[in-house]
Amino acid sequence: MTEPSDDLVERFRAALPHTDEVRCPSAEEYWAAAVGELPFERLQSLVDHGASCAECAEAWRILGELRHEPDVAPGAMPLHPPAPEGHRPLMGRAFAPLMITAIAAGALWVAFRPAPIEPPSVERGNGSGSFHAESRPVQPPGNAVLRWSEVPGATSYNVTVLTQDLVVVHRSVGLSSRELRLPEAVGQRAAGTGLLWNVDAVLPDGRTVASPTFEVRLGDGR
Amino acid sequence: MARTRGDNGGSDPEDAATLERIRQVLIRAVQRHCPPPLAAHREDFVQMALIRLLERTTGEETTARGTSYLWRVAYTVVIDEIRRFRRQQRQAGQLSESEPGTPGPEARSEILDCLSSLQDRRRTAVTLHLQGFRTAEVATALGWTEKQAENLVYRGLADLRSCLEGEDR
Repeated sequence: MTEPSDDLVERFRAALPHTDEVRCPSAEEYWAAAVGELPFERLQSLVDHGASCAECAEAWRILGELRHEPDVAPGAMPLHPPAPEGHRPLMGRAFAPLMITAIAAGALWVAFRPAPIEPPSVERGNGSGSFHAESRPVQPPGNAVLRWSEVPGATSYNVTVLTQDLVVVHRSVGLSSRELRLPEAVGQRAAGTGLLWNVDAVLPDGRTVASPTFEVRLGDGR
Repeated sequence: MARTRGDNGGSDPEDAATLERIRQVLIRAVQRHCPPPLAAHREDFVQMALIRLLERTTGEETTARGTSYLWRVAYTVVIDEIRRFRRQQRQAGQLSESEPGTPGPEARSEILDCLSSLQDRRRTAVTLHLQGFRTAEVATALGWTEKQAENLVYRGLADLRSCLEGEDR
């Protein structure tokens, strides 16, 4: 069980520096992060930003509070869920010896259990090692095409394109092909800079395989 | 899709009740988490947010996507409103008294330095925890099981405390 950490929470919040919010990610991105729509790398950069910007930390906290509402995040459980009311150990006596044995076994397990295994570095899907960009890293801004490798079994692909400040500038959902022609306006706006992009491959059972974040440099159009 | 203002109801008692609940929760959240000068405007932020929410959503859309979609839009527009207000205040030079500038290196130091030294996944889980996310919510955001998230928060907090004890000595 996670220890209460009110002292750390207060210390953390008091230490956060204020910023001018020029480089803050959008609120839409924060929500997408909270509902698990973002690949780990991007989520991590948003979370790290929230740990260096009091204004974004505030947005995270408001988000956290909203996420506690039952119809916002169905199934979310409190950290320390209360015991159900009205529970009565009707068969307590009959099962007392069993319970004592179970408690003893539990105590032994706690004392000698192996260290918990942390989740693998690729959190979703079946590994991003083979998931790579196939388009050129430098492209003309008015005619940029993003291509990526095939993910076996994927039924569709979702692509998100962001500026280097992590502002989403384009999103395509449900692509059946493995390429996305960047809208000319998006490319022209980013001319002379780079854009970040990543792909979520959607599998038949609804799971997604997240790609690493790729970068495409867009020439200055001259 | 054509979007028409205000056609998602408010006339339907259930919709009206949902909107009222969103309004109440948003007001409470802004009051609790924004500094007092901003929190004083909470009713305005939330009112503006709800107007924009009605502009951006239609009855069909809401029905198809469920109530959680309304919460999503409500959240994004209220944060946009808060940011817009801050920008205006900043331009008018009125934010300096309520929100001090970036703390110096002494104020920053310890806890943020210790946090940044944590292993990636533990740092992410612990930061979300410190921002008020419950274990299940951390798990949802990270795409992990609740047990994995709990484990990482637990270990990350232990690392953080250990680092801070080292710094305090």
